[in-house]
Amino acid sequence: MAVVILPGLLATEAGGQKRFELGAETVGGALRALPVANLLLDETGAVRPLVHVYVDGERERDLDSPLAPTATIRIVAAIAGG
Amino acid sequence: MDTLLLVGTRKGLFLIRGSQNGWQVEEPQLPGWQINHAVLDPRDGTLYACTNSWVYGGTVHRSSDLGQSWERSEELGLPEESGLKLASTWHLEPGHPSQPSTLWLGGEPGVLFRSEDSGATWAANEALLAHETRERWAPGAGGLVCHSIALDPENAERLWIGISAAGVFRSEDRGGSWEPANAGTEACFMSDDPFPEVGQCVHKVLAHPARPDRLWQQNHCGVYRSDDAGASWERLDENGLPSRFGFGLALDPGDPDVAYVIPEVGPENRVTSDGRLGIYRTGDAGASWNPTVAVDPAWAAVLREGMSFDANGGVYAGTQSGFVYALRDGQVTEAARHLPPILSVEAAAWQ
Repeated sequence: MAVVILPGLLATEAGGQKRFELGAETVGGALRALPVANLLLDETGAVRPLVHVYVDGERERDLDSPLAPTATIRIVAAIAGG
Repeated sequence: MDTLLLVGTRKGLFLIRGSQNGWQVEEPQLPGWQINHAVLDPRDGTLYACTNSWVYGGTVHRSSDLGQSWERSEELGLPEESGLKLASTWHLEPGHPSQPSTLWLGGEPGVLFRSEDSGATWAANEALLAHETRERWAPGAGGLVCHSIALDPENAERLWIGISAAGVFRSEDRGGSWEPANAGTEACFMSDDPFPEVGQCVHKVLAHPARPDRLWQQNHCGVYRSDDAGASWERLDENGLPSRFGFGLALDPGDPDVAYVIPEVGPENRVTSDGRLGIYRTGDAGASWNPTVAVDPAWAAVLREGMSFDANGGVYAGTQSGFVYALRDGQVTEAARHLPPILSVEAAAWQ
């Protein structure tokens, strides 16, 4: 099972859960399975511009990339605003 | 009966409770979210907030226990065929009392949604998305924002919306179609055609809750009143107001001839006029205006959602410098200070 780790605000929106174990074949599949999917993805299904997805420490921009069952996805909010 | 102020800020939602003992500011709710507007649905007491994030976009949160717990809306977005994406949520208006599960939501870019399940899911208003005048709309400083949703107090099929800078639109069929309602309002920034069909920079539109067909409008280019449901507008800012420019607008449910505005110097210098925070009142339908000064000196700014009123004649204003003022019985009190920049204020009754 791949692991997804959410930052604080998203964990709050996910009912307080920060770590998810998901059986998904692609990076996008894992994101879409989260209860905060509509905060990570816009209405077209694209990752929002300031949401950064890291898979095992590497930035991943392709939601169709295959996801290893041992992978760890970290969601990182780009710094914006003041 | 006491007052509950819902104050939306750049950094969370603040509830301020007012009673005979003064004002009590509670700990912020929805931390991390920018609250463009929050409202208490008078039909069932549900609290709704237009929540926005630089990172996670715009959405709506609702609470049935005054903020002890929150749910986030699902299915809030624009149809792919529109070619548009929802940029932010701006104003939430509970529907007509005869439609208890209906809510209206305005957002950017110039879009309107309706919920028929008390905010769980939302459908974009197709008639507005495909409006024949849309290509003539232009964003104001805050974006192309649907910020005003005014319901007819009697006719549940009729409502008005205000979009900056597209103007006022009226629907007689619950959003099935929209007609521009800008006759007589000036687009003073358009030198070639200052009275166009659309393109006016409306800052706030309110319908009087007790007198059908009476609308008030604070516009980029003047203060206006309509007594024919928006078919025509009369300009009102030349008798006692220091400026035609401003954002906030408040009414008195008990007297349709009363209105309040907070004039600002102008579009290039958006601070309150004359170096003070003046809340100007008319009691004669806009024929004359007189100020109550909340703070002097002050170079404050009150945004379009930053002014509200209650059923008892109280008027409330929150500034971008984080102060909240209450005007009741001609006296101003400070309800809060040092909040984050205030984006919205709504007043509600609580027991």
